[in-house]
Amino acid sequence: MPSETAAPPDTDPAEDLDLVRRCQEGDTRAFDALVTKYRGRVYAMTYHLVHNETEAWDLAQEAFIKAWRALPRFKGDSAFFTWLYRITHNVAYDWLRKKKIQSREEFDDSRTDHQVAAGAETAPRQAPAPDKALRHAELGQRIRAAMDTLSEEHRQVILLREVEGLSYEEIAETAGCSIGTVMSRLFYARKNLQNLLQDERP
Amino acid sequence: MKTPPEDHEWMRWMDGEMTPAESAAFEKRLESDPDLRAEVEQARHLTDLLRAEMPADMQVPHADFFNSQIQVRIAQESDSSRRPVAEGGWLRQLFRSVASPWGFAAAAALVALLVVMRPAADSRSADSTWVTSSYTPNPSVTAHTYHSTAAGATVLELDGLPEIPAEKKVAGLRVDHAQQDRGGQVASFHDATGTPLLVMSLDAQGRPHPWSPRSR
Repeated sequence: MPSETAAPPDTDPAEDLDLVRRCQEGDTRAFDALVTKYRGRVYAMTYHLVHNETEAWDLAQEAFIKAWRALPRFKGDSAFFTWLYRITHNVAYDWLRKKKIQSREEFDDSRTDHQVAAGAETAPRQAPAPDKALRHAELGQRIRAAMDTLSEEHRQVILLREVEGLSYEEIAETAGCSIGTVMSRLFYARKNLQNLLQDERP
Repeated sequence: MKTPPEDHEWMRWMDGEMTPAESAAFEKRLESDPDLRAEVEQARHLTDLLRAEMPADMQVPHADFFNSQIQVRIAQESDSSRRPVAEGGWLRQLFRSVASPWGFAAAAALVALLVVMRPAADSRSADSTWVTSSYTPNPSVTAHTYHSTAAGATVLELDGLPEIPAEKKVAGLRVDHAQQDRGGQVASFHDATGTPLLVMSLDAQGRPHPWSPRSR
């Protein structure tokens, strides 16, 4: 059996298009509904790219603001969320380019220090055993470090396919390339990650 | 059979990109090719690792505030596009949205609270909260504060507001404790049950933006 895709966005294209149409008429409440619907996924995307809660929060905000500005030009040629993901990626990568944090050597442990809001749910409901928790934390850090060694294009296709569960066609739309290029990038990105994480092989 | 190094077929199968006929043919090939099976297993394991560590959907910290900030920015952009020259700055914008005198009082109090409240280390205790200075944006309104032992609360009094008709019932908000997050850029005020009453943030220019969760 092929592996299942990541949980697909809970999207109803007709509902999204209706909200988009209202946004284009200046209805900010409709945009608020779109923000509520996609904020978790947009935030997750920026968080996986920058590994910092505060920066991810700000970048997700920026993505939505840019989307609002660009909505009058949205023609509905692609699904709203695909279009939104493309904006989010552009915002995040612009930020990454400015910060020049793309190489593994520059990976900074401090970027994983989360500034957690007071009162936020931070503790797992059932605390894992210390050795398991440590192993888990190390694995997470290794995966993030491995992701940081990938080129921008390879990291993008991995996130869009493995995390977001987009189809090749949707990834091609988001990345602005052909499906063949998507497959090639995905193949080599997976190979690179497998080599970097070979200790985690089954 | 050795899998060619750039054979994308296993990938298309794993990613659900094959037609049913292609998928059936590939699965036959998979049964007879242990190298191919190993390849698929490794890729599948990588997928499991990535999905476990990088969820596609995450809870946004201060999610409602996230939305409200976007609305504030959209309103600001819309406002500035209509009027190239700002009229009266942020305070005017703040109070323009507050139609009633009671709303004005609340807005005035909000601004004063953000500026003057300095929660102590134990910010849940009313006794440990004090006011270091007072500020009201409207010069005709004066503010002073005192700690009421009987009420167990710090009281903020505003003089100079329009008179409230006797028939109008006014229920105050009882702030039990305050929290500051994001390096002091965001302050939230909560009632005794922990329900947020007011959230305020400072923008890049240090200007406060209030928001009431109860208004949503």
